Amino acid sequence: MPGFRRQGKDLQMSSNEIAIKVEGLSKRYEIYDRPGDRLKQFIFPRLRKIFGLMPKQYFREFWALSDISFEVKRGETVGIIGRNGSGKSTLLQIICGTLTPTVGRVQTNGRIAALLELGSGFNPEFTGRENVCLNASVLGLTKEETDARFDDIVAFADIGDFIDQPTKTYSSGMMVRLAFAVIAHVDADILVIDEALAVGDVFFTQKCMRFLRNFMKTGTILFVSHDTASIRSLCETAVWLEKGVVQDKGLSKNISEKYLEAFYEAQQGKGTTTRVKAQASDAPSIPTRDPRLDLLNGSNLRNDIQLVELDLDGPSFGLGGAQISAVKLMDAAGNPLSWIVGGEQVTLGIEAIAVFDLESPIIGFFIKDRLGQCLFGDNTYLSYMDSPILFAAGETIEAKFTFDMPRLSPGNYSITVAIASGTQEEHIQHHWIHDAVSFKSEVSSTVAGILGIPMGKINLSLKTQ
Amino acid sequence: MNFQNPHRPQPTSLISLAKSVVIHRQLIWQMIKREVIGRYKGSVFGLAWSFLNPILMLTIYTFVFSVVFKARWGGDGSDSKTQFALLVFVGMIILGLFTEAFNRAPSLILGNANYVKKVVFPLEILPIISLGAALFHAAISFLVLTMAILVINHHLYWGFVFVPLIFAPLVFFTLGITWMLASLGVYMRDVGQPIGILTTVLMFMSPVFYPVSALPPKFQSIMMLNPLTFIIEQSREVLILGRTPDWGGLGAYTLISLLVMWIGYAWFQKTRKGFADVL
Repeated sequence: MPGFRRQGKDLQMSSNEIAIKVEGLSKRYEIYDRPGDRLKQFIFPRLRKIFGLMPKQYFREFWALSDISFEVKRGETVGIIGRNGSGKSTLLQIICGTLTPTVGRVQTNGRIAALLELGSGFNPEFTGRENVCLNASVLGLTKEETDARFDDIVAFADIGDFIDQPTKTYSSGMMVRLAFAVIAHVDADILVIDEALAVGDVFFTQKCMRFLRNFMKTGTILFVSHDTASIRSLCETAVWLEKGVVQDKGLSKNISEKYLEAFYEAQQGKGTTTRVKAQASDAPSIPTRDPRLDLLNGSNLRNDIQLVELDLDGPSFGLGGAQISAVKLMDAAGNPLSWIVGGEQVTLGIEAIAVFDLESPIIGFFIKDRLGQCLFGDNTYLSYMDSPILFAAGETIEAKFTFDMPRLSPGNYSITVAIASGTQEEHIQHHWIHDAVSFKSEVSSTVAGILGIPMGKINLSLKTQ
Repeated sequence: MNFQNPHRPQPTSLISLAKSVVIHRQLIWQMIKREVIGRYKGSVFGLAWSFLNPILMLTIYTFVFSVVFKARWGGDGSDSKTQFALLVFVGMIILGLFTEAFNRAPSLILGNANYVKKVVFPLEILPIISLGAALFHAAISFLVLTMAILVINHHLYWGFVFVPLIFAPLVFFTLGITWMLASLGVYMRDVGQPIGILTTVLMFMSPVFYPVSALPPKFQSIMMLNPLTFIIEQSREVLILGRTPDWGGLGAYTLISLLVMWIGYAWFQKTRKGFADVL
């Protein structure tokens, strides 16, 4: 095969810290229009070579992956993000060893267990029990080891009597349950998971997440998805694949933001207008009210939330039909705040200037935690759905959201704001600013969960009979 | 722990084959068991069919050839209908063993696309599993044959102990062909089509219903080119006629069949990388 580099002996790595190493990986698929062409390709180029002629190609090339290189360190959780057809699954299959790369090399360190698509490697005619034994055996477990773990696997899968039915009778959810149960019990060093978890119900997904978070302490995970939220919540770093090439790699939060931007840009084209300068009057010189004064003698668990910065020039994208010119947090009286207390009412004001005439503008926001997980958010669409406002070029519009700020667990938070036009389902993003406002929660009385809501009443009393 | 390259070239030596069989012995055993039991799953008589099938076949062939066609065995055998049945049955067992593996070979990989694309499966053991199941059925038939010989002839020849030696080269040969066809079948779906016809041709072109000696001398040497001829003839010599095997011929045959096995295995190992691209 032209361009095929023969893999040599396995490299002995000096460092044991790397779990997966991918170097210059490319994968070419040969697409034949007629089955006979495959046979011709097999015979004629060799014959022509013998007679010293130039070999002729009987196929069209499709490069599913080109020149992919990255490393995954031991214990790291890496996400691979990309749209359908970007080569994610091909890459995973090559790493697992089921597909052969055309060029480049892959090295892995440790036992790999993979959950590729639904019911990886299950034989539909075999019963669940037989498939478990078979899969475990393929993954390198002896019969005795499999027998010892069998009850745990069945308990984890929790599919009841279906374990003795052929897997062709399984629902897709049951299939994933069983497949995941197997790979969770084979003492893998590296787990490769291909967006299959989405099929399971919420209880099973939670169980898997618990397992994965526990596994992450020691093992390496390669997680593939086109869903930015799950990548952000699970992975530290991410690799973004686009049309078979690595578009970017880095912290999963940054990568998923860029990916999201590209997604909108692909749908509506890239914005071309230049930024409107934020108005000077919005500079934080206005004295801000500090509600700490009102609560001077409050408890030491008071949820003080400090506004760290207002950054309207941060990473943003959009078509540019309107520009967000100011974002501020205010108290009920309309005074800008530099300090918020969880549980108090705040008003988030977002101002925007129209560059073009826009019909039905929508202004929205959401608040994210440090992992980039969206905690909550809202937009103006439903409230103004029946009486859309015409937003003429040059005008300024302001949206105000008044809500009770939840008590937030200690950590950094940010508010993403955006202006769009259209409807909830179909809209054009004009200006989307990642992390326009960031703030920090120092201490909190929140006991569990990612945020605390005001409790109506908490009572503890002894019941007398 | 050392780094592994999941795409290192697959080993092609017979030693690597032996290693693979040892490493995967449990898997092979489980899958053969599954295959044998799976065939009769859901049927009322279950495994009894393994007994019934050869007995029914034996009865039908004996009736058609010795009663309807009044065929005679060549000079050396007895002319009784029961002897004819036994002689045919020996040929049938060997032909059956080969054709069962031969028929399934082109679809072995095609029919197990999951094992190619979804998991890292030791694909090289699939032909062994298929042959293992065929061997089980041959063994049942052989048991039927042994009982038939005991009932009809009242004694067994001591040459019975040589049977494994005669069957071994057939096993090697069949494996080699199976590896070859399993791989070819993936790249060229056409391979599966002429298999049925070839099986029928093989049934009549092998000395199953007649001895080689019944043919004119010039055809006899052509007949020996059929890989099954020698094995069938030798088995008859040992089992029914009570002679010792042709050691020289058997040795040569074993060497050739080992070569066929090695070529088939090496071909399979060399071409398996492309399976996932084609399936």
